[in-house]
Amino acid sequence: MHSLKDRTAIIGVGATPQGKLPGSTQLSLAVDAFKAALDDSGLEKDDIDGLLTFPGTTAPEGPLNYLRVGEALGIDPAFTGSMAMGGGTAGALVQMAAMAVESGHATAVACVFGDAAKTGGSRFNRASGWGDSWGIWGMMGAAANSAVAASRHMALYGTTSEQLAEVAVACRRHASMNPNAVMRDPITIADHQASRFIVEPLHLLDCCLISDGGVCIIVTSAERAKDAKQPRVLISGMGQAYTTRTLEREDWWYVPHQKEALDRAYAMAGLGPQHIDVAQLYDNFTISVLLWLEHAGFCKPGESGPFVEGGRIQLGGELPVNTAGGNLSESYMEGWLHIVEGVRQLRGQGGERQVQGAETCLVTGRGMTLNCSNAMVLTKGEA
Amino acid sequence: MSDHPKPLPEISDETRPFWDGTRNQQLVMQQCARCRHIRYPISRVCPECLEVGHEWVPLSGRGEVYSAIVFHQVYDKAFADDVPYNVSLVQLDEGPRMFSNVVGVPPSQVRVGDRVRVVFDPVTEEVTLPRFTPEDS
Ligand SMILES: [Zn+2]
Repeated sequence: MHSLKDRTAIIGVGATPQGKLPGSTQLSLAVDAFKAALDDSGLEKDDIDGLLTFPGTTAPEGPLNYLRVGEALGIDPAFTGSMAMGGGTAGALVQMAAMAVESGHATAVACVFGDAAKTGGSRFNRASGWGDSWGIWGMMGAAANSAVAASRHMALYGTTSEQLAEVAVACRRHASMNPNAVMRDPITIADHQASRFIVEPLHLLDCCLISDGGVCIIVTSAERAKDAKQPRVLISGMGQAYTTRTLEREDWWYVPHQKEALDRAYAMAGLGPQHIDVAQLYDNFTISVLLWLEHAGFCKPGESGPFVEGGRIQLGGELPVNTAGGNLSESYMEGWLHIVEGVRQLRGQGGERQVQGAETCLVTGRGMTLNCSNAMVLTKGEA
Repeated sequence: MSDHPKPLPEISDETRPFWDGTRNQQLVMQQCARCRHIRYPISRVCPECLEVGHEWVPLSGRGEVYSAIVFHQVYDKAFADDVPYNVSLVQLDEGPRMFSNVVGVPPSQVRVGDRVRVVFDPVTEEVTLPRFTPEDS
């Protein structure tokens, strides 16, 4: 494979306010996020010749979203499209943007997301399965598949609900240091245990938020990102992997493709878990962070439960994870803010939650019914 | 009971043998005519070798709980009177896996590894849902 190691950079990131934003729409949030990222990047609108979008759950035009967002922004791109992979979309679009830049199809690509999921009526509660829907047996909603993974992980490895709680507690503590986070009041393991069950073994505090908001990430060449408005953040490694199969894959619940995506990203970067200073791991539910830690090689398969104990994934711990609060406590932007936080940490713009001296950040994304995964190793470029 | 209808399977030419089977107290699935793989979900071609030809074969209806979860949240108001209810991923002895419900035991007492056998629940005149119950019950 043609290596894109250090060939492209994230030059601009931007986000709208997050949470419950009455009157907002998918389009208004996407537009506001784009403007914020453009301002952050120091580029002009006419510099943007690539536009990739994720319609989220509330864009009425669905996969034609790129046309609507492009028209609103007055951009006639050289390269465009929309993609829907749920929480796997952000990383997939940023990687597609990098490929487009490297191959010369575009010079600066804006990846744009907006969703009015909180106020606009999201569609997260449908049943899974094609053909005969699993809803026949009452198997529906976004938590169900992750609950299946958690149940199996607990049975095989002795993972406990209190260990899942460690993830929720870490994310909330980090969100408490993030002025833009939606949920900022610290929680304890006892709070997690006392929260009601959603789909057992998952409690309410194992679950991500539902949020309104928009995020935009602008990708350009590493060369062009030199001497830009912001410190340079390089895309050093990237990888994707998918399983389209569900019931036909015995290990589907364990999302084994995540490891393939991570291995591809590590191989391109020439780095491994021992080199990662901070990680933004996709956390639709707490169990997902445990699975990522295993697949990313921070611990062995089955050992993520004990690994997260004792504050190891909190700021000040061995591996700070989801330093802005993640989907669980910052805002449910389907992983888009994970990339933004990775960029901010490597720029040294983390404020109170900055990981001192952070030079490498692992960012992961995963979407749909445990099917789509991707990973990126971001590194701090030289000044 | 809620009068809001629960989701039902879409019975088509492709899926009818499965639902005819359950109505006749039998769990049947498609076995590939070429590589003998038993596939589920119901599909036009074998996902292993793409062969269309297949035979509907009766299964023992026995297996074990591969993963067990309990719904407390009501996502569809048709299930409002059912919570908390179990959904299990069942590993059938012949190889395929399917989602279903383990019934006849309190939902939180279903454990991964429990042996189960199929039971048939006629929910409409046309549709009989396969569910599972502890093997020794
Ligand atoms: Zn076959």
